[in-house]
Amino acid sequence: MRNIFPRWTNTIPVKIIVALSFIGGAVTAGITYYATPKYTRVGYQPTQPVEYNHEFHAGQLGLDCRYCHSGVDTSSHANVPGANTCMSCHKNVKANSPLLEPIRNSYYGEDTNKDGQLSEDEDLNGDGLLSAGPSVPWVRIHKTPDYVYFNHAIHVNRGISCVECHGRIDQMEVVHHAEPLSMSFCLECHRNPEKSLRPMEEVTNLAWHAPHQEGESHDLAQIHAGLQIKENWGVNPPLSCTGCHR
Amino acid sequence: MIRENTSSKEIQGKQYWKSLDDLADTPGFRSWVNQEFPEGASLMDGVQRRGFLKVMAASFGLAGLGMTGCRRPEHAILPHGKSPEELIPGIPAFYSSARPSSAGFIPVIVESHDGRPTKIEGNPSFASSGGSTDIYTQASVLDLYDPDRAQGCFINRSETKEAESSSSWKKHSSADITESLSKIENLGQVAVLANHSSSVIRNSLFSQLQDKGVKIFNFEAVDLLNPEKNLAKMLGAEKSLRTFPDFSNAKKVLSLDSDFLGNREPNSCTNTKQFMQGRKIHSPKDSKRMNRLYSVESDLTITGGVADHRLRLSSSEIEGFTALILINLLQSSGNQDKKLLEHLFELSRGFESHEKWAQECANDLLINPKQSLVIAGSHLPGSVHLLTYKINQTLGNQNTCLQYLEVNHTAGNLASLCESLENKEIDTLLFIGGNPVYHCPSVEWTDLLKSVSSTYRLGSAIDETSQICDFHIGQSHFLECWDLGETWIHDTYVPTQPLLAPLFDTLSDLEILSSLFGNIKKSYDIVKEYYESNADISDNFEDFLKIGVANTKPSTLKTLPDADSAILKIKKRKFELSESSLEVLLTPDFHTWDGQFSNNGWMMECPHPITKLTWDNAILISPVLAKKLEAKYPELGLLPDSTMLNKNGQIAPDTAVFKDGKQKAPIVILDVGDHHQISAPLYVQPGLADYTVVSTIGQGRSRVGRVGSGTGFNTCSLLHSDANRISSGASIKPTGEFHILANVQEHWSMEGRAIVRETNAKYYAEHEDFAQHMGSESHSPPMWGKDQGASLAVKASTTPRGNSAYEHPDHTYEHSETFGRHQWGMSIDLNQCTGCSACVVACQSENNIPIVGKDQVLRGREMHWMRLDRYFSSEERKGAELPSDVQVSFQGVACMHCETAPCESVCPVNATVHDEEGLNAMAYNRCVGTRYCANNCPYKVRRFNFFDWNKRDTDELYKGPLGEKNDSLVDMGKNPDVTVRMRGVMEKCTYCVQRIQESKIRVKVNAQRKAKLATGKDGADFTLEEKDLKVPDGTIKTACQQVCPSDAIAFGDLSDPESVVSKLKNNPRDYSVLGYLNTRPRTTFLAKVRNPNPNMPDYNKKPHAYREYSDKAYPAKKDKSKMESQSY
Repeated sequence: MRNIFPRWTNTIPVKIIVALSFIGGAVTAGITYYATPKYTRVGYQPTQPVEYNHEFHAGQLGLDCRYCHSGVDTSSHANVPGANTCMSCHKNVKANSPLLEPIRNSYYGEDTNKDGQLSEDEDLNGDGLLSAGPSVPWVRIHKTPDYVYFNHAIHVNRGISCVECHGRIDQMEVVHHAEPLSMSFCLECHRNPEKSLRPMEEVTNLAWHAPHQEGESHDLAQIHAGLQIKENWGVNPPLSCTGCHR
Repeated sequence: MIRENTSSKEIQGKQYWKSLDDLADTPGFRSWVNQEFPEGASLMDGVQRRGFLKVMAASFGLAGLGMTGCRRPEHAILPHGKSPEELIPGIPAFYSSARPSSAGFIPVIVESHDGRPTKIEGNPSFASSGGSTDIYTQASVLDLYDPDRAQGCFINRSETKEAESSSSWKKHSSADITESLSKIENLGQVAVLANHSSSVIRNSLFSQLQDKGVKIFNFEAVDLLNPEKNLAKMLGAEKSLRTFPDFSNAKKVLSLDSDFLGNREPNSCTNTKQFMQGRKIHSPKDSKRMNRLYSVESDLTITGGVADHRLRLSSSEIEGFTALILINLLQSSGNQDKKLLEHLFELSRGFESHEKWAQECANDLLINPKQSLVIAGSHLPGSVHLLTYKINQTLGNQNTCLQYLEVNHTAGNLASLCESLENKEIDTLLFIGGNPVYHCPSVEWTDLLKSVSSTYRLGSAIDETSQICDFHIGQSHFLECWDLGETWIHDTYVPTQPLLAPLFDTLSDLEILSSLFGNIKKSYDIVKEYYESNADISDNFEDFLKIGVANTKPSTLKTLPDADSAILKIKKRKFELSESSLEVLLTPDFHTWDGQFSNNGWMMECPHPITKLTWDNAILISPVLAKKLEAKYPELGLLPDSTMLNKNGQIAPDTAVFKDGKQKAPIVILDVGDHHQISAPLYVQPGLADYTVVSTIGQGRSRVGRVGSGTGFNTCSLLHSDANRISSGASIKPTGEFHILANVQEHWSMEGRAIVRETNAKYYAEHEDFAQHMGSESHSPPMWGKDQGASLAVKASTTPRGNSAYEHPDHTYEHSETFGRHQWGMSIDLNQCTGCSACVVACQSENNIPIVGKDQVLRGREMHWMRLDRYFSSEERKGAELPSDVQVSFQGVACMHCETAPCESVCPVNATVHDEEGLNAMAYNRCVGTRYCANNCPYKVRRFNFFDWNKRDTDELYKGPLGEKNDSLVDMGKNPDVTVRMRGVMEKCTYCVQRIQESKIRVKVNAQRKAKLATGKDGADFTLEEKDLKVPDGTIKTACQQVCPSDAIAFGDLSDPESVVSKLKNNPRDYSVLGYLNTRPRTTFLAKVRNPNPNMPDYNKKPHAYREYSDKAYPAKKDKSKMESQSY
């Protein structure tokens, strides 16, 4: 009886196995690269309702981060400022810029003639109280999952700079997501805090580098400084689940 | 107070895409189209409509199928237009307020996250309850977010207005209602029927309205004012006489059917705090100054559970027994008033069998002159209160242990309202609070109201009473409006301060009442006005709000009227108790109080402390009656084996009655001769007086929200018109039907294991370490082995291996990358726990624990992290008969955070692991739901999310993702610091890890800032000591610890030998539950000590639990000990 399958078919199973392993490898590699926050989150740069320029305000003008994000060193949450913070300057500077319209709306609210008083025809909802306007819907860029309880205050007060997670905001015209903020990213730093610790003074100085001696690399200088801080302050970042998950 | 900011409204909901069109509106979406389809995007410049639609269709298609699923939803951050000064996002704010209850205003501190109240705690400035609260106050925050509450005001458009019919309601504006009320001209034809309130403003408005001719009536189904009114009536006093006990000085207490530690009496929190302080013991010498509680009661209450001596008597028999006590007291103190004694003898005739009990009890009361207290239940008739008054007078307790307050009540009662209605004197009727139509089914409401032209109902939800009214006015929750009230004992003014503007178009009672004067005002203005016109409240309104309490002097009675002549007028009641002439006692329901918490899922699901029933009420009967009924009606199916004990004689309900927590209870008709009948399931309860049956008011509501509908049985027809809750001459008939009760604890006994360890004070004085000689570990190989002597700190932080062959991972500073700065541990003092269950609801509120519904409780899927185990033990068993006299022991059980946790070793994905500080962590996002951990946990404390409890209503659970999402209103009350768990993950007590982390962070931040300020250095070169970074003892309070009125729970750092918890754990009373399993739990218990009187006829050397344990552990000795049962 003649062979049904020609001779060349003998190698097919091997070829299939080899091909499958390649495909499997490619899928695994693809997922590990494309489906992690390193790829999915880094670079996220939504358009904001008001084109706030961090490079100009924080970089050129030198506003401290905490001028606007005032709760960052007391609260778990680094608050986005209310319109009143913007208006403390922009009442005078660029007071009529059309770009700031949403901010002004939010700030003045019912007070349409901007005199700080509530006249009868201004009281639209009739509650007798001067209500602020609608919030400016800033688009959230940095977000940890719901089951992660990141606390800004403890990091900022214990010598972890904003730059560690948010990148060089002072150089971004439009803010984008700079670091992956994945669990491995967090643990990397929690395992080796000396790579990031810096004096409390320099936390909001995003351009700071540990002072280094001749012939010493930036990294080495940082590690020396960081180890000393870690020792002095008794820094022991939690590595167990309860540190972040509650 | 936070003024509602219109912009903050938008912050309240998360922003997810609702549809693709929503998405298309955002600039982010347009830019995305730009990036992905550069050619298509160029088409959009000046395209025709057709081309545009084509592109959009393609984009939508791709958006729906492809990439959008991978994108994270876009969130908006919505800051305030003008940020309120005191509000920092992420930091909760705390405000003082007060919960108005029928037992006075309860001072509280409310936690608010971004303007949403999430948790209520007691106000620590109010010293007599010291930061603790009762269970209802804990649960009351949920009512604010009840989706079934009246979300505004309504007009009733039904033709016939009857309680049973369901009316059609149309929204109506609250402004129109106040407008129409303010226009009422003839106030003489206006009547108000209100529940009792201690609001000083409401009461002053009432008296002003009375001056203008408005008729004010008062009705409470569970009338806590009855005793004071009756006592005054009997004594012939003008004003009511409120008894105000002070347990802190009382060495001996006799409770006459009074549940002063539980939910049935007012001020339970203060009572518990004061009374349980007198039972705190640290060393054997304290056992001498321990107080002693005698309890004579018809129902088994938690007060009876705490009692050192307990006598079962029907409520009708209490009168005679009280007379017996009084005789003994008078005779011992040499009173020779023959007339009085003779009358008392007459009253106490028939109680000769209790003579010895009463005599020894009276002698014991006399041992501590002026330091004893006799207190009677509020449901008892005036004669008992009069006799009690005389007893306390004889004992000289006034001013040391109790005082009498003069209280003025001017409101009429329900009967006088009915009379006015019949005489057609009323044109406008206002119902404020309460639920009189539900409570008084015997009143012909529909007929009576025919002559009334308009009826208004102010209530938190549309209920039975609303059905007969023309208007329903939604009542603002106490966290939404202002008020000013007094505590029960009138010694403190407390402000009710709102935390948010009314969520809906609702009004408060003050706003309604003041509109009757013709001026429409907000509750704030009313309160401010009242405050300013009464300068004696406090110096400054702002400070008053900050502290939340202002002391005042109650008007106590200095000279007591003589009771003798009044006693002589008491006529002996004739009653007969037998199985065909039963006494019925109605008590306020544990779950719903008088029905006001019917739609509160936390309360409905919290197990009753004694019966352990959830979601239902039942008719409780004694084992003696059960046996007789069983003989009479063999088909009843109550006790299939005519016993509730199993073959081994262990107290365990029969398997035919109990299966998988499902208890098949026969429904019976309880027929009360003179008035009505009810039908409800039977539940056999040891500890009841033989011929007293007990049921509860407040369930079986016909018009109630989704949570409460279809639960329980209505017993209101047994309520007398004067709110008397005792009936007699009842009989029980079976109906042949059955009802399934959701009971969460089938096992009553400890099955011979020393789970709860207890002894008597006398034995404890000689054997301080008695707890160490009970249980298997007292004779099993020592688990600590050579490390037995190590300190607690070493044991906690290093996990010594003892004699074990296995090594434990070393987490010490020297040997590990990480180290725990603290070692957390908990100690629960069983001697302090009364079983009030406030901790169960506090935990639920703090930790976002879902409500699962009766159906799921029946399947054993309740989610409470904290449960209270209740055990009964009896003196001796006659064969396989269910005991009648039992001792009750409670034990709070939550995750024990074992050092060598059995759950951790079986988790295949490391979702439950230990952390450096000894917490048994649970990583929800890692859990895959194998449930091995729950299987391996010897304490049964792990809870599994079988469904998305938080996402769906209980009747939508089985539909899974297809089920409808529940109302997002309830989500507003969730604690944002705790993960809301999803389906398929395990959860359990975390020791309130969110509070631990919060405190640790706060301490570190403060230390860092302080050091920087002190040194003035740039921050790199100062040094922080370990002590600076440690959380000071007492800073962290777990939710259960904070709420506990008797301070039974201590939590703290075991590595600090000076911490409270370390000291407690070094006490010889300390023991581990199931310690022989070598789990080394971080939660340990302090053994219970009872304080019986050796002279009493029912005295035993050791508690019954001890005997039960030794009977099982040493069965050989059992027969011997039975013969000399008194000598064990």
